[in-house]
This record gives sequence, C-alpha cells and structure tokens, in this order.
Amino acid sequence: MENLLEVKNLKVEFFSNKSLVPVIDGATFFIKKDEILVLAGESGSGKTLTALSITKILPNSAIITAGSAKFMGVDLLTMDEKALTDIRGREIAYIFQEPTSYLNPVFTVGIQITEVIMLHQNKNKLDAFNEAKELLSLVKIKDPQRVLSSYPHQLSGGMNQRVFLAMALACKPKLLIADEPTTALDVTIEAQILQLLLDLKKTMGFSLLFITHNLSIAKKIADRICVMCKGKIVEEGSVDKIFDAPEHFHTRELINAYEKIGKL
Amino acid sequence: MQNKSLNIGILIIGFLTIIAILAPLVSPFDPSVIDQDSLLMPPSLKHFLGTDTLGRDLFSRIVFGARISLGIGLVAVGIATLVGLILGAAAGFYGGRIDGLIMRFVDIMLCFPTFYLILAVAAILGPSIFNIMIIVGLTSWMGVARLVRGEILSLKEREFIQAEKSIGASNLRIIIRHLIPNAIGPVLVSATLGIGGAILLESGLSFLGLGVQPPTPSWGNILIESKSTLGVAWWITVFPGLAILTTILGFNLIAEGLKKKLGG
Repeated sequence: MENLLEVKNLKVEFFSNKSLVPVIDGATFFIKKDEILVLAGESGSGKTLTALSITKILPNSAIITAGSAKFMGVDLLTMDEKALTDIRGREIAYIFQEPTSYLNPVFTVGIQITEVIMLHQNKNKLDAFNEAKELLSLVKIKDPQRVLSSYPHQLSGGMNQRVFLAMALACKPKLLIADEPTTALDVTIEAQILQLLLDLKKTMGFSLLFITHNLSIAKKIADRICVMCKGKIVEEGSVDKIFDAPEHFHTRELINAYEKIGKL
Repeated sequence: MQNKSLNIGILIIGFLTIIAILAPLVSPFDPSVIDQDSLLMPPSLKHFLGTDTLGRDLFSRIVFGARISLGIGLVAVGIATLVGLILGAAAGFYGGRIDGLIMRFVDIMLCFPTFYLILAVAAILGPSIFNIMIIVGLTSWMGVARLVRGEILSLKEREFIQAEKSIGASNLRIIIRHLIPNAIGPVLVSATLGIGGAILLESGLSFLGLGVQPPTPSWGNILIESKSTLGVAWWITVFPGLAILTTILGFNLIAEGLKKKLGG
C-alpha cells in the first residue's frame, strides 16, 4: 500500500548568532493510510519541530535546510505558500499540547470553529455555525449551544481540547497530527480524550501521527513507534518489537524510565 | 467592578457630543449673527455666557464650536489610528527589512517638531477644516504604530497564532482577524488620549490663525478673538478655555478608565 506521508532526510536548523544550529538532523519516517504512528522521545529531541515542519508552520528562526515530505506523492516542502495554506486544516490538521493557549482568547469558540469551516468549505455563516454545533456533539460535548458561545477561558482544559479536536476534524483531514494532546490534562480526562481520538479515528478514518514522551500511551494506541533522540529517528518498529527487543540504548532508557514509574 | 473615571468620562463626553449634535436646537442665537446693540455684554440671562466684540452670542458660538472641535478630534485620531495600525502591524508581523524601513520612517517623522510641521503644511495647503483633520491625523500616527508593533511582536509568538497557521489561515487573515483584535486594547486607550491632544492641537492652530477660519466658530478661534479684549471681557477667554479643558479631561478620564478595564 502506498504511504500517506513520507518524510525523508528532514533537516531543520535554527538561526542563532549568525550561524545555523541543526535541531533535526536527517529524520526519515513514513505513515501508512489508517495507521497510528507514535513519535516518542524525551523533551528536546525534536518531536514537535518534526511535526511542525511537515506543513512548514515553524517559528521564524527555524529553517528547513534539506529533505522532503511527500504527502500523497506531492512534496510539501517545495510547495508554494498558497497551496500549503489550502492543505493545512483541510488535508493535514493539528491538535496541540495546551488547548487553552492555542485558542484565540478574544473570540468565542463558535466563531473559531466556524472560521475553519468557512476557510476551506464553500458554506455560508449559518450553515457553518450549524456544522460547528454538530462537530461539538461529535466530540461528545453535551451542551454544544452553551460551549459555542463561550470564550476559551470559560472552559476547562479538557473541554478546550475537545473544541480544538472539533476544529481539527472540521474538514475531515486525511492526517491528524497530535502533538502531546493530553500532556496538559489530568489522568481521567486524558483517558477520555484518548478514547475519543481512537473512536473518531475508527469512524472518520484518518491516519494519526501521535507525539508523546509517555510510553504507556504509546503502548496502548500505537501501530508502530518511532523513537527520536537528539534530532534523529534512532529506532522504528512495531509496538512488540520496540518493547520486547529494543535495539537502541535510548529506547531502552525510555522503557526503563517508564517501568520504574510503573513500579512506584 | 466600579469604574468611576470611565463613567464620569463617558458622561462628560456624551453630554458634549449630544450638545454638538443638537447644536441648532440648543443654541438660543445664530452663532454668526452680529448684534450691534449688545457688544461685549457680560454673562446675563439673555446671553448667559455673554457676547463677543461683534455682539455674537458666546454660548451659541461655543456650542457650534463643539461640532468643529470634536469632529476634528475624532476624524484626525481616526486617520492616525488607521495609519498606525496598518504600518505597525506590517512592521511587527513581517519583521526584517519591512520592519526596519517602517520603523526608521517613524523615527524620521518623530524627529520633526510636529507642531511646526503642521504649521508649515497648513500654510502651504491653506487652512480649512478638512485640511486640518488630515494634517493632524497624518502627523500623529507614529505613537500608535510603535504601540501596535510592540503588541504584535509579542502576540505573534503566542500559541494560538501557530494554531491559526495550522488550520490554514493566510498571513493577512491572521493579522486582521487574530492579531489586531488582540492588540486593540492599548490602541483604544492611546486613541482616546489622542482625541484630547488633537483638539488641543486644533485650538493651537486656530489660535495662530492657521486653523479653522472665522466666521466658523471653533474653540481655538474664539480664543484668538478674545486676546485683544482680555482686560475688559474675561468671559470670552474663560468659557472656551473651560470647554477645551472639560473635553480633554473627559477623554483622559475615559482613557484611564479603559486602561483599568482592559487591564493595560
């Protein structure tokens, strides 16, 4: 089967003190259709930057210096900005770590979801607003009407993550990139959000690139795992292979750390 | 929360605005009708702010002057805010060479002593109400531009701007729909303060004869006419002066109240 996304030899460097500092140094991985790929690694290993480089939404000081990211056969990294804006949110969507700070504080949730729908679909405001309501029930929000007219700071973190998920899924993307979506949430909400993500994946049929430092989550949801360390992908394989026969010492370190916490 | 200064400010400015709008109904006399029988009359029941050297009713002149002065204040600040917003947002968002170019232009504009610049331009273009609005507007946008640039610089690094990019919003859309609404608080405060400043500037220009031309009454040119009769007719100096004072006080109170309310 053809791969949905194929990232090859990705190199991202930061511009600092007039010289370039490599942060991602030749990352290569792929995601198949309908697959859940977990990108695991410690903080600072370049997981988030890798995810952001795929659609080039990096901070200004970061530059992609080499590599390619082929999405359904087309290289996103050489695509012009206008075509990329069209792909972001429609074909490839993101959810992020701290949902509350990723929503615009001066607009209601309803306006923000409506915006995504109107950006990518030819719909009038009323239709878009109704669809926003449906999306909120899709992510299992019980009183969509109230949530739609609330501001992000009036909602809890778990609620905001659901809202953000609704925004991300508004245009039925083929690939959802989830960058530590549950790290900022407490454990019970984390379980709910993960379950929701898996359920929605089943019904909507998108591929999922899930970024986490938490191997217990990786073990639960992943089809395959890529382990990242110091800007490189050091090991790649199925869940069983990674947990039963880790090759790279960094993978073993991560697993040990996770088992230590489990024993506490 | 009780916001005394905002309420008092709104009360003062609201009252003045209503008077300015209803000027023909409020004023007992035509502001430019000359009455030979009542030159330099002190305040009385018939002319309760007195009359000027040509026997015109001072109260009516101040009431009609409010239209001109408030109008100039609002339009001039409107122009300044618009120009400042556009240039400041462009400089802050795009950075680099565009930022350098715009901010150096701001520095150049700030180097000119504004009042003399306005005098020179007014002398060349000829004094008229329309010209004064534009001149005052185009020489007082620099503060707004600096303010907006600063706000945008910090806002554009916030997470929700990255989220906006991830859903496929274009740069222009991000600036107009997401950055400016978040930066508008301090701009509103400075604009309110600016209206007071613009009215003062207009009064100064009119006082020097380069502002609103007689017989059209503005608070500034009522004051010029008073200077030759200051010894015998104090009311012609005091009342327009009080009008200017009250207006500026009103706008400054609103600005202070807004600052408190918007947490700036």
